[in-house]
Amino acid sequence: MSVEALIASEFISAALALILVYFFFRTYRLTRSIYLLGLPFGFSFLAFSYVFLGMSLIYEKNVAISESFLWLRLITQSFGFAFVAFAYYFSSKSEKTTKYSFGLISLVSIISILLFFGALAVAPPCMELPSVNVTDEYFRVMNLFFLGYVIYYLVKHFEPSHRAISGLIWAPLAFSFLWLAQYSSLIWGIDGSQTAFVLAHVARLASLILFIRIYYLSRRA
Amino acid sequence: MKEQKRNKIQIYFDILQLLCRESKLSAKSCPTRVAHEANLPYDRFQKCLDHLILLSMVSRGPEGKLVVTSKGVEFIDEYQKIVDFLSRMGLLP
Repeated sequence: MSVEALIASEFISAALALILVYFFFRTYRLTRSIYLLGLPFGFSFLAFSYVFLGMSLIYEKNVAISESFLWLRLITQSFGFAFVAFAYYFSSKSEKTTKYSFGLISLVSIISILLFFGALAVAPPCMELPSVNVTDEYFRVMNLFFLGYVIYYLVKHFEPSHRAISGLIWAPLAFSFLWLAQYSSLIWGIDGSQTAFVLAHVARLASLILFIRIYYLSRRA
Repeated sequence: MKEQKRNKIQIYFDILQLLCRESKLSAKSCPTRVAHEANLPYDRFQKCLDHLILLSMVSRGPEGKLVVTSKGVEFIDEYQKIVDFLSRMGLLP
Protein backbone atom coordinates (compact mmCIF):
# COMPACT_ATOMS: atom_id res chain seq x y z
CA MET A 1 0.00 0.00 0.00
CA SER A 2 1.34 3.43 -0.88
CA VAL A 3 1.80 6.12 1.77
CA GLU A 4 -0.93 8.23 0.10
CA ALA A 5 -3.38 5.33 0.33
CA LEU A 6 -2.47 4.81 3.99
CA ILE A 7 -2.97 8.48 4.81
CA ALA A 8 -6.31 8.45 3.00
CA SER A 9 -7.34 5.31 4.91
CA GLU A 10 -6.50 6.99 8.25
CA PHE A 11 -8.45 10.15 7.48
CA ILE A 12 -11.43 8.20 6.11
CA SER A 13 -11.42 6.13 9.33
CA ALA A 14 -11.31 9.34 11.38
CA ALA A 15 -14.27 10.78 9.44
CA LEU A 16 -16.28 7.57 9.93
CA ALA A 17 -15.44 7.53 13.64
CA LEU A 18 -16.59 11.16 13.94
CA ILE A 19 -19.90 10.30 12.27
CA LEU A 20 -20.29 7.59 14.92
CA VAL A 21 -19.47 10.10 17.66
CA TYR A 22 -22.36 12.23 16.42
CA PHE A 23 -24.75 9.22 16.37
CA PHE A 24 -23.73 8.04 19.84
CA PHE A 25 -23.90 11.52 21.30
CA ARG A 26 -27.43 11.90 19.87
CA THR A 27 -28.34 8.64 21.56
CA TYR A 28 -26.97 9.88 24.87
CA ARG A 29 -28.73 13.25 24.54
CA LEU A 30 -32.11 11.63 24.15
CA THR A 31 -31.79 8.86 26.73
CA ARG A 32 -29.58 10.69 29.28
CA SER A 33 -28.11 7.36 30.35
CA ILE A 34 -24.71 8.28 31.66
CA TYR A 35 -23.04 4.97 30.70
CA LEU A 36 -23.71 5.74 27.03
CA LEU A 37 -21.17 8.58 27.20
CA GLY A 38 -18.48 5.90 26.92
CA LEU A 39 -19.26 5.49 23.23
CA PRO A 40 -18.91 9.11 22.00
CA PHE A 41 -15.84 9.46 24.24
CA GLY A 42 -14.39 6.19 22.96
CA PHE A 43 -14.97 6.89 19.28
CA SER A 44 -13.65 10.46 19.68
CA PHE A 45 -10.40 9.03 21.03
CA LEU A 46 -10.34 6.54 18.15
CA ALA A 47 -10.91 9.34 15.61
CA PHE A 48 -8.00 11.27 17.14
CA SER A 49 -5.82 8.16 17.03
CA TYR A 50 -6.48 7.74 13.28
CA VAL A 51 -5.66 11.41 12.69
CA PHE A 52 -2.42 11.05 14.70
CA LEU A 53 -1.40 8.01 12.66
CA GLY A 54 -2.16 9.93 9.46
CA MET A 55 -0.08 12.86 10.71
CA SER A 56 2.82 10.55 11.60
CA LEU A 57 2.74 9.29 8.00
CA ILE A 58 2.64 12.84 6.62
CA TYR A 59 5.70 13.77 8.74
CA GLU A 60 7.44 10.40 8.33
CA LYS A 61 10.67 12.09 7.18
CA ASN A 62 10.94 13.98 10.46
CA VAL A 63 11.50 11.12 12.93
CA ALA A 64 10.95 13.18 16.10
CA ILE A 65 7.59 14.57 14.98
CA SER A 66 6.49 11.27 13.47
CA GLU A 67 7.32 9.38 16.70
CA SER A 68 5.48 11.96 18.81
CA PHE A 69 2.35 11.41 16.72
CA LEU A 70 2.79 7.65 17.04
CA TRP A 71 2.95 7.94 20.84
CA LEU A 72 -0.20 10.05 20.79
CA ARG A 73 -1.89 7.50 18.55
CA LEU A 74 -0.92 4.67 20.91
CA ILE A 75 -2.44 6.28 23.98
CA THR A 76 -5.59 7.70 22.37
CA GLN A 77 -6.41 4.40 20.66
CA SER A 78 -6.18 2.41 23.88
CA PHE A 79 -8.26 5.00 25.74
CA GLY A 80 -10.81 4.82 22.96
CA PHE A 81 -11.20 1.06 23.28
CA ALA A 82 -11.19 1.34 27.08
CA PHE A 83 -14.09 3.84 27.01
CA VAL A 84 -16.10 1.60 24.66
CA ALA A 85 -15.49 -1.35 27.00
CA PHE A 86 -16.52 0.83 29.99
CA ALA A 87 -19.82 1.65 28.24
CA TYR A 88 -20.61 -2.07 27.91
CA TYR A 89 -19.42 -2.86 31.42
CA PHE A 90 -21.61 -0.11 32.93
CA SER A 91 -24.63 -0.87 30.75
CA SER A 92 -25.34 -3.92 32.91
CA LYS A 93 -24.90 -1.78 36.02
CA SER A 94 -26.71 1.31 34.73
CA GLU A 95 -28.65 1.81 37.98
CA LYS A 96 -25.44 2.13 39.96
CA THR A 97 -23.73 4.34 37.38
CA THR A 98 -24.01 7.96 38.33
CA LYS A 99 -22.59 10.96 36.54
CA TYR A 100 -20.02 11.12 39.35
CA SER A 101 -18.70 7.60 38.75
CA PHE A 102 -18.39 8.24 35.01
CA GLY A 103 -16.89 11.67 35.65
CA LEU A 104 -14.35 10.05 37.97
CA ILE A 105 -13.33 7.52 35.31
CA SER A 106 -12.97 10.30 32.73
CA LEU A 107 -10.93 12.40 35.15
CA VAL A 108 -8.62 9.48 36.07
CA SER A 109 -8.17 8.72 32.34
CA ILE A 110 -7.28 12.31 31.46
CA ILE A 111 -4.91 12.63 34.46
CA SER A 112 -3.18 9.35 33.53
CA ILE A 113 -2.70 10.57 29.93
CA LEU A 114 -1.24 13.84 31.20
CA LEU A 115 1.00 12.00 33.69
CA PHE A 116 2.19 9.62 30.97
CA PHE A 117 3.19 12.42 28.63
CA GLY A 118 4.53 14.48 31.53
CA ALA A 119 6.77 11.55 32.49
CA LEU A 120 7.95 11.25 28.87
CA ALA A 121 8.75 14.97 28.77
CA VAL A 122 10.70 15.07 32.03
CA ALA A 123 12.48 11.71 31.64
CA PRO A 124 16.24 12.32 31.62
CA PRO A 125 17.83 11.81 28.20
CA CYS A 126 20.09 9.08 29.63
CA MET A 127 17.02 7.00 30.48
CA GLU A 128 16.32 4.52 27.75
CA LEU A 129 12.67 4.61 26.79
CA PRO A 130 11.26 1.63 24.94
CA SER A 131 10.76 2.30 21.24
CA VAL A 132 7.29 3.24 20.10
CA ASN A 133 7.09 0.07 17.98
CA VAL A 134 7.82 -2.21 20.94
CA THR A 135 5.33 -0.37 23.17
CA ASP A 136 2.80 -0.54 20.36
CA GLU A 137 2.69 -4.34 20.66
CA TYR A 138 1.86 -4.17 24.40
CA PHE A 139 -0.85 -1.62 23.73
CA ARG A 140 -2.30 -3.80 20.98
CA VAL A 141 -2.56 -6.71 23.41
CA MET A 142 -4.41 -4.40 25.80
CA ASN A 143 -6.73 -3.29 22.96
CA LEU A 144 -7.43 -6.92 22.12
CA PHE A 145 -8.38 -7.48 25.75
CA PHE A 146 -10.84 -4.52 25.74
CA LEU A 147 -12.42 -5.58 22.45
CA GLY A 148 -12.48 -9.21 23.58
CA TYR A 149 -14.45 -8.12 26.63
CA VAL A 150 -17.02 -6.29 24.45
CA ILE A 151 -17.42 -9.31 22.14
CA TYR A 152 -17.75 -11.61 25.18
CA TYR A 153 -20.38 -9.26 26.66
CA LEU A 154 -22.38 -9.19 23.40
CA VAL A 155 -22.27 -12.96 22.99
CA LYS A 156 -23.23 -13.48 26.66
CA HIS A 157 -26.21 -11.12 26.36
CA PHE A 158 -27.28 -12.44 22.97
CA GLU A 159 -31.04 -12.93 23.23
CA PRO A 160 -32.50 -13.90 19.86
CA SER A 161 -35.98 -14.08 21.42
CA HIS A 162 -36.07 -10.28 21.59
CA ARG A 163 -35.76 -9.76 17.84
CA ALA A 164 -34.65 -11.44 14.65
CA ILE A 165 -31.08 -12.75 14.80
CA SER A 166 -30.24 -10.71 11.68
CA GLY A 167 -30.73 -7.52 13.73
CA LEU A 168 -28.47 -8.64 16.58
CA ILE A 169 -25.57 -10.05 14.64
CA TRP A 170 -24.13 -6.78 13.30
CA ALA A 171 -22.70 -5.35 16.53
CA PRO A 172 -20.68 -8.49 17.47
CA LEU A 173 -19.57 -8.70 13.84
CA ALA A 174 -18.44 -5.05 13.79
CA PHE A 175 -16.51 -5.49 17.05
CA SER A 176 -15.00 -8.73 15.71
CA PHE A 177 -13.70 -6.78 12.70
CA LEU A 178 -12.18 -4.20 15.06
CA TRP A 179 -10.58 -7.06 17.01
CA LEU A 180 -9.29 -8.58 13.77
CA ALA A 181 -7.83 -5.19 12.77
CA GLN A 182 -5.91 -4.99 16.06
CA TYR A 183 -4.79 -8.62 15.82
CA SER A 184 -3.59 -8.16 12.22
CA SER A 185 -1.67 -5.03 13.24
CA LEU A 186 -0.03 -7.04 16.03
CA ILE A 187 0.98 -9.77 13.57
CA TRP A 188 2.29 -7.13 11.17
CA GLY A 189 4.31 -5.59 14.00
CA ILE A 190 5.86 -8.98 14.80
CA ASP A 191 6.61 -10.45 11.35
CA GLY A 192 6.00 -7.56 8.93
CA SER A 193 3.42 -9.54 6.95
CA GLN A 194 1.93 -7.35 4.20
CA THR A 195 -1.28 -9.42 4.15
CA ALA A 196 -1.81 -8.71 7.87
CA PHE A 197 -1.11 -5.02 7.26
CA VAL A 198 -3.71 -4.73 4.47
CA LEU A 199 -6.19 -6.86 6.44
CA ALA A 200 -5.83 -4.55 9.45
CA HIS A 201 -6.86 -1.52 7.37
CA VAL A 202 -9.67 -3.30 5.54
CA ALA A 203 -11.10 -4.81 8.75
CA ARG A 204 -11.05 -1.45 10.53
CA LEU A 205 -12.86 0.34 7.71
CA ALA A 206 -15.36 -2.53 7.46
CA SER A 207 -16.10 -2.36 11.20
CA LEU A 208 -16.70 1.41 11.15
CA ILE A 209 -19.00 1.07 8.12
CA LEU A 210 -20.87 -1.72 9.91
CA PHE A 211 -21.49 0.51 12.96
CA ILE A 212 -22.93 3.19 10.69
CA ARG A 213 -25.08 0.54 9.00
CA ILE A 214 -26.46 -0.53 12.39
CA TYR A 215 -27.56 3.04 13.03
CA TYR A 216 -29.28 3.32 9.65
CA LEU A 217 -30.96 -0.07 10.09
CA SER A 218 -32.52 1.16 13.32
CA ARG A 219 -33.64 4.42 11.67
CA ARG A 220 -35.35 2.46 8.93
CA ALA A 221 -37.00 -0.04 11.24
CA MET B 1 -36.66 -10.89 38.01
CA LYS B 2 -35.89 -7.46 39.40
CA GLU B 3 -37.44 -4.73 37.28
CA GLN B 4 -35.08 -2.05 35.95
CA LYS B 5 -35.58 1.39 37.48
CA ARG B 6 -36.81 3.82 34.83
CA ASN B 7 -35.21 7.19 34.35
CA LYS B 8 -37.19 10.39 33.74
CA ILE B 9 -37.02 10.13 29.96
CA GLN B 10 -38.28 6.53 30.00
CA ILE B 11 -41.19 7.60 32.25
CA TYR B 12 -42.09 10.44 29.86
CA PHE B 13 -41.93 8.01 26.95
CA ASP B 14 -44.26 5.56 28.75
CA ILE B 15 -46.75 8.34 29.59
CA LEU B 16 -46.78 9.66 26.02
CA GLN B 17 -47.26 6.18 24.60
CA LEU B 18 -50.12 5.46 26.99
CA LEU B 19 -51.76 8.80 26.22
CA CYS B 20 -51.54 8.02 22.50
CA ARG B 21 -53.14 4.63 23.06
CA GLU B 22 -55.83 6.16 25.30
CA SER B 23 -56.79 8.77 22.72
CA LYS B 24 -57.17 6.01 20.11
CA LEU B 25 -59.32 3.86 22.40
CA SER B 26 -61.67 6.41 23.90
CA ALA B 27 -62.90 9.90 23.25
CA LYS B 28 -61.87 11.07 26.71
CA SER B 29 -58.53 10.11 28.26
CA CYS B 30 -58.59 9.12 31.90
CA PRO B 31 -55.49 10.46 33.72
CA THR B 32 -55.98 8.10 36.67
CA ARG B 33 -55.89 5.07 34.39
CA VAL B 34 -52.83 6.38 32.54
CA ALA B 35 -51.07 7.03 35.87
CA HIS B 36 -51.92 3.50 37.00
CA GLU B 37 -50.74 1.90 33.76
CA ALA B 38 -47.57 4.00 33.79
CA ASN B 39 -46.97 2.58 37.27
CA LEU B 40 -46.77 6.03 38.88
CA PRO B 41 -48.38 7.60 41.95
CA TYR B 42 -50.92 10.18 40.85
CA ASP B 43 -49.06 13.20 42.25
CA ARG B 44 -45.88 12.20 40.41
CA PHE B 45 -47.82 11.53 37.25
CA GLN B 46 -49.35 15.02 37.52
CA LYS B 47 -45.89 16.58 37.83
CA CYS B 48 -44.69 14.70 34.75
CA LEU B 49 -47.81 15.72 32.87
CA ASP B 50 -47.30 19.39 33.78
CA HIS B 51 -43.74 19.15 32.49
CA LEU B 52 -44.86 17.47 29.27
CA ILE B 53 -47.43 20.26 28.75
CA LEU B 54 -44.69 22.82 29.41
CA LEU B 55 -42.54 21.09 26.78
CA SER B 56 -45.51 21.27 24.34
CA MET B 57 -45.57 17.50 23.98
CA VAL B 58 -49.04 17.22 25.47
CA SER B 59 -51.88 19.70 25.26
CA ARG B 60 -55.32 19.91 26.79
CA GLY B 61 -57.96 19.68 24.13
CA PRO B 62 -61.65 20.56 24.39
CA GLU B 63 -63.29 19.22 27.59
CA GLY B 64 -59.80 18.89 29.09
CA LYS B 65 -58.88 15.88 26.96
CA LEU B 66 -55.16 15.18 26.98
CA VAL B 67 -53.76 15.14 23.47
CA VAL B 68 -50.23 14.19 22.44
CA THR B 69 -48.96 16.93 20.11
CA SER B 70 -46.91 16.39 16.95
CA LYS B 71 -43.80 17.21 19.04
CA GLY B 72 -44.78 14.43 21.45
CA VAL B 73 -45.35 11.98 18.59
CA GLU B 74 -41.94 12.96 17.18
CA PHE B 75 -40.34 12.25 20.57
CA ILE B 76 -42.02 8.81 20.75
CA ASP B 77 -40.80 7.97 17.24
CA GLU B 78 -37.24 9.18 17.92
CA TYR B 79 -37.05 7.40 21.28
CA GLN B 80 -38.24 4.11 19.75
CA LYS B 81 -35.55 4.37 17.07
CA ILE B 82 -32.87 5.08 19.68
CA VAL B 83 -34.02 2.12 21.80
CA ASP B 84 -33.90 -0.06 18.68
CA PHE B 85 -30.36 1.17 17.96
CA LEU B 86 -29.26 0.44 21.52
CA SER B 87 -30.83 -2.99 21.35
CA ARG B 88 -28.95 -3.72 18.11
CA MET B 89 -25.74 -2.50 19.75
CA GLY B 90 -26.40 -4.80 22.74
CA LEU B 91 -26.46 -1.80 25.06
CA LEU B 92 -29.86 -2.08 26.65
CA PRO B 93 -29.47 -2.88 30.35
